[in-house]
Amino acid sequence: MIAILTGILTTAALAGAVLALSALGGMLANRVGVLNLGLDGLMALGGITAIITVSVIPNPYVGFLAALLVGAMFGVIFAFATVVLQASQVLCGLALTIAGSGIAGTVGRSYAGQHAGAVFQGLKVPLLSDIPILGPALFSQNVLIYLAFVILPAGFYVLLYRTRHGMNMRAVGENPAAADAVGIPVRWIRFVYVTLGSAVSATSGAYLTLAFIPSWSEGITAGRGWISVALVIFAGYQPIQIAIGALLFGCVSALSYVGQAQNWAVPSAILSMLPYIVTLAAMMIPKLFLQNMRSWGAAPQALGTAYFRDQR
Amino acid sequence: LPVVGPGRRSLAVIVSILLALVLSGGGLALFGFSPMLLLGSVLQEQFGSRFGLEDLGLIYAPIVFCSLSMAICMRAGLWNIGAEGQFYVGAAAATGAGLFLHAPPWLMWPLMIVGAIAGGMIWMLIPALSRVYGAVDEIISTLLLNFVAVLFITYLTSGPWRDQKTFVNAASGRIPYDLPALSGALHIGIVVAVALAVLLAIVFYYSRWGYEVLMCGANADAATYAGMPVGRRLLQVMLLSGAIAGLAGMIEIVGTVHRLQTGISSSYGYLGIIAGVLVRGSMLGVLLSAGFAATLLGATSILQAQGLSTGTALALTGTVLFFAAMGQRLAEFRIIRVAVDTENP
Repeated sequence: MIAILTGILTTAALAGAVLALSALGGMLANRVGVLNLGLDGLMALGGITAIITVSVIPNPYVGFLAALLVGAMFGVIFAFATVVLQASQVLCGLALTIAGSGIAGTVGRSYAGQHAGAVFQGLKVPLLSDIPILGPALFSQNVLIYLAFVILPAGFYVLLYRTRHGMNMRAVGENPAAADAVGIPVRWIRFVYVTLGSAVSATSGAYLTLAFIPSWSEGITAGRGWISVALVIFAGYQPIQIAIGALLFGCVSALSYVGQAQNWAVPSAILSMLPYIVTLAAMMIPKLFLQNMRSWGAAPQALGTAYFRDQR
Repeated sequence: LPVVGPGRRSLAVIVSILLALVLSGGGLALFGFSPMLLLGSVLQEQFGSRFGLEDLGLIYAPIVFCSLSMAICMRAGLWNIGAEGQFYVGAAAATGAGLFLHAPPWLMWPLMIVGAIAGGMIWMLIPALSRVYGAVDEIISTLLLNFVAVLFITYLTSGPWRDQKTFVNAASGRIPYDLPALSGALHIGIVVAVALAVLLAIVFYYSRWGYEVLMCGANADAATYAGMPVGRRLLQVMLLSGAIAGLAGMIEIVGTVHRLQTGISSSYGYLGIIAGVLVRGSMLGVLLSAGFAATLLGATSILQAQGLSTGTALALTGTVLFFAAMGQRLAEFRIIRVAVDTENP
């Protein structure tokens, strides 16, 4: 029993870190009013970049950084289309997802099925790693898990809620016209954070291919980017809640892995549906049962709308 | 909002498609393929022979269905990213009816059609209800159900419905029904698709119901004020959209593949999205853009033979969609000379 629990929680932490990184990047864009539906494509691009990089330079951190850079590159393209040209955010996001997975598949054809050249190594925290169940799951994993669950969420929380710049960001997301009127550079802020968010999202792919699955295959993201889009909504666009929610969602997908490993009586295809169904339910429950969405965290008012100074 | 003429819009879309193709060609050249040679072989194989044209017709029909399913949602200001999933469930329902119901042959066709329509609708039901009554984003809910649908088909074809005769991996038994053929391998699905497009165009452009749908999508408050049942109209459109995608699944089953498998939709649902978007949800325009999407898909199966991966289709599709999105927006821009007061700046 303890072994199963440890297994579930260990996998949950790994799966959750992928979701957390992806969702945190998406949240950054959402908070300044841009809907980024391209998370799944960014994850695929980050994943293949990391795999190719470590096959040349066998250092997972270099792979991670390379994914960050490629994410930023595609982020610039996405931000140019949605913020500068003000094209439809939904269409550009879908296009980024479709093209991103496609490009990753095309580029990564010769890497399919290969084991990653280098993977993130676990790091045992003294004392804490000896705690039963929690120790192996949370305190003997690689360092990046703390980045995904602690450093980035806390950092983004401080940025958004404890700095003036963060207040400006939120203003741009809630009411860009008002923000513009008081002299906040709306487009500039949107451009920067959409790009930065895309970069962070792409690192989730590096985590997926260098720590969670350690290999590459086409369609490896399996819709995890979309789950993280839903996770941002479920978590009410709040960084700390995203980290907690990611661990919860991670537990669900861990359940299906462990179920398959333990030969439960449920067919594996049915178990694999769990993450998607739970995600769907998680999106609906707060909306259907909580009358007061404000307390949960409503979407930024201007989310999904382009800002054009001449158009009121 | 500025009103942009259809000529300017079509020009923008055509220019963006060309740009996207040129860019993709450049990308392929980077991988050591010669884009001109590839283009030549693609055109040669698709339009140069009767078999090529028949194959094109075979993939054209399901893409028209899926784009119509997208287009009618766009008419109501909604998105249906889940045509892929509804397609699979419709196909599964039709196969189930074909395999396990033993009715006289004349009754089987209506049963399979009803099954497919019901399957597509059921798959759309949860996103539709939660969109209309809970304001849950239908883009994500329809998309997540695509993954569930594919897993569901995997379960059916590798478990309870698995073919007992030939033990083909992950496929159901063969169903003994076949659509009448037009020419060679080409079945009448293509005729049904075109007829459906015309029918939907008439309903959506000339009926009171169609007008109400447009109104409810454009401005829900105004529609409510005018006494229209907004929630019900949106629900009806979404369910109809699911039904069309489900029907596409059935036609693919009885027309082309004859057994349920996971790969029966070659991203038809996603190609339907871009075909719908390129013509901004015009029912008749879809006939044209679906042709483009079918050519694109046909091209990738030829490119695969030349050593490119299946992902290349998606890469091309995504690039075209991206450029089309930008092009449609750019068509709305206009260069204005602002009169500057030079004396009192």
